[in-house]
Amino acid sequence: MKRAEVHMGHVMIGASGETLTASGVGSCLVITLYDPVHRIGGMAHAMLPPASRAPGRNGRDTKYTDAAIDEMLKRLSARGADTRRLEAKLMGGANMFPGLKSDIGEANVASAKEKLARENIRLAAESVGGSIGRSVEFCSASGIVTVKKKL
Amino acid sequence: MTAKLENLHSAAAERASEALSKLVGRPAHIEVVRAEIKPVTELAPAVGLEEVVVGVCLPVTGDVTGASLLVFPKGSALVLSDLLAGREPGTTTALSGLDESALKEVGNILTGAYLTVLADVSGMRLVEHVPHLTCDMFGAVASQIVANLAQEDAEALIVEVEFLFRQPVFKNYLILFFGTEDARKVFPAMALA
Repeated sequence: MKRAEVHMGHVMIGASGETLTASGVGSCLVITLYDPVHRIGGMAHAMLPPASRAPGRNGRDTKYTDAAIDEMLKRLSARGADTRRLEAKLMGGANMFPGLKSDIGEANVASAKEKLARENIRLAAESVGGSIGRSVEFCSASGIVTVKKKL
Repeated sequence: MTAKLENLHSAAAERASEALSKLVGRPAHIEVVRAEIKPVTELAPAVGLEEVVVGVCLPVTGDVTGASLLVFPKGSALVLSDLLAGREPGTTTALSGLDESALKEVGNILTGAYLTVLADVSGMRLVEHVPHLTCDMFGAVASQIVANLAQEDAEALIVEVEFLFRQPVFKNYLILFFGTEDARKVFPAMALA
């Protein structure tokens, strides 16, 4: 089956059952949405919580967790998914340098959960936090997510 | 590379080589074999996203805000730890607390040498802070630094520098991260922007 890497700040929909991957995820948050009836899903590789959005700045909006989820919802709806049936999974949100004061990972997770709750999307599973990197594989045909850790 | 840029790297390498030689108690030579400014999205081909590395991160403040990340492939970090501790290369299989401290010191030396030369040519105040060490996949390590910068800037640029340690040879990377606006202040001084 075809595989495609979803890079930081990007969103991708598995239109024909591809396996979507995100390699070496640290504080970033990988969000998958899957419609189990229509058997279609997407992956977002978000970098930042919406609170860090600087006013007047441009750039790829889908690097923010809320905009990434909005973009996936839009694209999945356009492909026939029923957003009321979607289930979400969250992976990442670590702090790779515990000595450095950085709450980006934690804030990414919290903001994504808030957004999912606002959209009435069920959170089916999560592998988040800690100080460990993750590589994520998402089979967009089955909705199955595999998380690999190197250490 | 321009002549100006070559001089900058040579000066930084010479300064770092001297300091590293003192630290390891034997001749150590550092060469800058390549230097490029890249958008962060193009960094991955140099080091694989899933390659396990030891990363030493030093936040940089002063007239600009950024961070330096010294990246050792895990095998290099283990051999260098042996050299630093006076052990036979190949002895270490896992880093001890003392080994981690020594690698942080190497991060201090290399980053300090580079920033000193960069500050000299740019006329800017660049202050390095306490080093932090982690061992994990390169993508996971680097992306957090990128994310920290992206809180202030939409994009980030990277200077990627390869170092060769001889006897034995190591191939490592020193990466300097700056946000777009700060990069526009720093990099013209290097005749690259």
